[in-house]
Amino acid sequence: MGGALGAPRGGDGGVAMLILGIETATDQVGVALSAGGAVVASFEVARGRRHAETLAPAIEFVCRQAEVRLDELAVVAVDVGPGLFTGMRVGLATATSLAQALRIPMIGRSSLDLLAFPCRHADRVVVPVIDARKGEVFWAMYRQVPGGVQRVVEPTVGSVDDLVADLLARSEEVLLVGDGADRYLEEIQQGYRCESIDGARPSAVPLVQLAHAQALREDWVNPREIEPIYLRPPDAQISWVTRRERP
Amino acid sequence: MRELTVGPDTVVLGIETSCDETAAAIVMGGTDIVSSVVSSQIDLHAEFGGVVPEIASRAHLEMLNPVVARAIVEAGVDESRIDAIACTIGPGLIGALLVGVSGAKAYSLAWDVPFVGVNHLEAHLYSALLEDPSLELPLVVLLVSGGHTMLVEMRDHGAYRLLGQTIDDAAGEAFDKVARFLGLGYPGGPAIDAVALHGDPEAIRFPRAVPEGLDFSFSGLKTAVVNYVRAHPDVSSADVAASFQAAVVDVLVTKARRAAREIGATGIALGGGVAANSLLREELLGACAEDGIRGFLPSRAMCTDNAAMIASCGWYRLRSDGATPLDVGALPNLRLPLLAS
Ligand SMILES: [Zn+2]
Repeated sequence: MGGALGAPRGGDGGVAMLILGIETATDQVGVALSAGGAVVASFEVARGRRHAETLAPAIEFVCRQAEVRLDELAVVAVDVGPGLFTGMRVGLATATSLAQALRIPMIGRSSLDLLAFPCRHADRVVVPVIDARKGEVFWAMYRQVPGGVQRVVEPTVGSVDDLVADLLARSEEVLLVGDGADRYLEEIQQGYRCESIDGARPSAVPLVQLAHAQALREDWVNPREIEPIYLRPPDAQISWVTRRERP
Repeated sequence: MRELTVGPDTVVLGIETSCDETAAAIVMGGTDIVSSVVSSQIDLHAEFGGVVPEIASRAHLEMLNPVVARAIVEAGVDESRIDAIACTIGPGLIGALLVGVSGAKAYSLAWDVPFVGVNHLEAHLYSALLEDPSLELPLVVLLVSGGHTMLVEMRDHGAYRLLGQTIDDAAGEAFDKVARFLGLGYPGGPAIDAVALHGDPEAIRFPRAVPEGLDFSFSGLKTAVVNYVRAHPDVSSADVAASFQAAVVDVLVTKARRAAREIGATGIALGGGVAANSLLREELLGACAEDGIRGFLPSRAMCTDNAAMIASCGWYRLRSDGATPLDVGALPNLRLPLLAS
């Protein structure tokens, strides 16, 4: 455990490289498996039981259905946020522990990347917007480039007004996507004329697609180097009530 | 998943993240602690005077994998020797618990070994047995910490009866609040313990609240301390701390020995963070000697939150109930499983 990472299994010729992707940054839980860049299995559920109850059984199910043993994996990819902290950490703790135990490298991608990538054929700037609760949103901006998208505005957190101000300042034609866009669309459109794609969530499928391209360049990290993107300092409320409930 | 017969050679990796300690341990056969690593977050929370849930969760995520790696390295065993993963599923802070539970399930999947969810309170009962397997049941366990004050009859493995508990503040909570009031810092238990050494425990006679039966109450005592200090602003903090501590310990020991008499226990064991308190340890041993029963004090490292007790309890649970399904979540309000009577 620890120590130097070996080259991932299936990295060169012969066997197709297997990548497991884990995504839990919003209220959705997603797991996808790719072999040689092709998505061979995926599981996604957007309601019902919470992340921690669903994720491990989903990984087991996806791998069993695709007839893949976990020890055959080459890389574990994970959504590193921004998103809902508790859910994000379920995915991150699962992914880093899997990679550590299997001694394989990891690839972390932002939830905003996962929203933008499926819009790579759109004809305008893509603005993924994720609901950060407490009246705020996370966003970034992406421009189309051959084969994908490129981030032009780094992930940010702020009020809906802050987002509108950012859009006004750049004054480009934009396409909004994500649960934050769904929730605050009317408010955003009152301040800035734009269109949106309804109902999109960060998904494990674009995660393994992006991770495959990155893995081909051996652009991966040790599990300990995976950093969550919180964008917000911890809420320092202590309550004697929560404290009382613990031993 | 491979079949597992739980026996003396069974190696369990324990994981604990319910509050402000990230811990991992390797325990063989339920009682042989091969390694035990605890990463404490006390410094992160000190400036807030209590545990901040979001800060705790972030730190758990950062420390979980390194702490597990260190427990394995210190154990000097190959990870292929690990037969099961035990992890606290509750009670505790939901976000903190979820980090450990998620990681534990991932290790279980990756190594193809059973996962077993452990009740943190039950694990505290095992921390006594862990260091002295010769203890005989039934035993009274006085479990005192920042969140709990309970007297438990341990009749058998998995068979517990609640004899008494606090009706308001937990003992550790009273220590934290009084320490904060006296400006002694956080956490309150060790702070008061240290200052009290220089004070006179008989300087002030604080009230000993004794509710019905074997229950406890500490909120009146806390109020009495506050009122006393307001009325006597020049009083020495050391005397207040020593007198407060004496009152808490007096009540705890009196009720614990009464409980032991009532059920005919072979002894009294301590558990929980407050069990590290010097005066409590001394007084309890003295009382047990007087009553001709065994007094058992786990080492301070076993009293406070650790993963060895989780691995130990996990071994017993696995032996009696088998593995826990992977669709279990964290249970922040989990209670001690009690006998009907
Ligand atoms: Zn505890």
